[in-house]
Amino acid sequence: MARNRVLGIFVVAAVALATGFLVAGQVKAQLLTPSNQVARYQALVRSVQDLEKTNESSRAKIASLRADIDRLEGAAAQQSASTQALKNEVADLRAHAGLTAVHGPGVEVDLGNGAPGPDQGGKTGYLINFQDVQDVVNLLFASGAEGVSVSGRRITPLSAFSGSAGQVVVDQGSPLVAPVKVLAIGDRNRMLAALDDPSALPDLRDRQVRFQIAVSVTGIPDVKLPASDSSLQIPHVSTP
Amino acid sequence: MSAPPRRLAPARRRSGRAIGIWLIALLVALVATVQIRSQAEVEKSLVGIDTTTLAFLLDDLHRANDQLAAETSDLQQRKASLQGGGSAAADQELTAEANRMRAIEGLVPVHGPGIVMVIDASGLRALDLQDAVNNLSAAGAEAIAVNDRRVAAGVPILQSSSGVTIDGAPVLPPWTISAIGDANRLAEASDLMTQQMRSDRRVRIATYRVEAAVEIRAVITARPFVYAVGT
Repeated sequence: MARNRVLGIFVVAAVALATGFLVAGQVKAQLLTPSNQVARYQALVRSVQDLEKTNESSRAKIASLRADIDRLEGAAAQQSASTQALKNEVADLRAHAGLTAVHGPGVEVDLGNGAPGPDQGGKTGYLINFQDVQDVVNLLFASGAEGVSVSGRRITPLSAFSGSAGQVVVDQGSPLVAPVKVLAIGDRNRMLAALDDPSALPDLRDRQVRFQIAVSVTGIPDVKLPASDSSLQIPHVSTP
Repeated sequence: MSAPPRRLAPARRRSGRAIGIWLIALLVALVATVQIRSQAEVEKSLVGIDTTTLAFLLDDLHRANDQLAAETSDLQQRKASLQGGGSAAADQELTAEANRMRAIEGLVPVHGPGIVMVIDASGLRALDLQDAVNNLSAAGAEAIAVNDRRVAAGVPILQSSSGVTIDGAPVLPPWTISAIGDANRLAEASDLMTQQMRSDRRVRIATYRVEAAVEIRAVITARPFVYAVGT
């Protein structure tokens, strides 16, 4: 009896040990993979956040340096008429390049994400993308806009739009997500008529119906546009 | 008198074992639930933005920050030059700035390294050309012209009954797009663009070549502001 009991204990211990190893192996396999994924993912997110912080501070520094330069040029212009004439010419060129804050009558276009359709799977047609913003900005310029900004980023002659699903990158800025606010200064009636034209912005209108993408247009008596804080470097261009 | 307690002892042991087994089962169930729930949470947190998108975002932000750093360094130099130089230095800086602004705004002819892309197609629309121009701008194009028409953000590319127009002038196919900028980046973007275009049935020709000296003679006519006022 005693021998049988001891044997029984050993068998139970061996089975428990084997089960323990199996469970530990399984737990390790199940836990480690996600935790590694999470760690890698978190490291990537942290890197993106760090770069976005650097991006913000660089753009703030650029804005501050441009203001300092403008002040120094202004001081020099007070000492010489020819410098003043040059300063005026540059001020006009800078304004057209989007390097000066401006205000005037205009329109506000607000773009918001819609709702995913039931048969959409991984598709992102319900999200506002960079091409939607690009189309709206192009339409506004084509309708005589003298200046445009996208969620606080001023459009310059070198501006470009990029991004992946649901993200809108304007020039060297960090990605924007909907709602996106596009502001434009110019002939309000002309811009409103262009935005109201049923043949304009065909893709956006189609998705407005299919996914309830939100597009609202408002005329505003005094729109304020910030100066660009992006890079306007043209290192590869030479003039004759 | 001592018999009843002896008879009760195995029953107590049995119920003790049963409680022990139930406790272990409860613990196992608890651990399993926690494990399953935490995995579900992990999966949920990863929905929306995948690591590939994040990696592309990192790459773009690195490049953007490098460009911003170059701009910062350039502005710091200009500031330093203005601080010590008086109106002579200011004249020099302002003249250089005026030339740079004119090139950026497309007011003067320019040249430099880049690409020349040729697209011959029937049925392509203004949106297709806008996309092509935007793709090249996103790849760092510093000056662009299509069929000797200068293009920059703000220059209208429109669809008319007779085809595509740039700033009111018709641009009939084939389109020759000239872009000045970092030739490697522009070639990379052009490669993708032409590959994609060739898969479009409407496109007969979609090619590009890299050139050491692309010349863009076309200029944009400056328009004075009517509505915008400086703050």
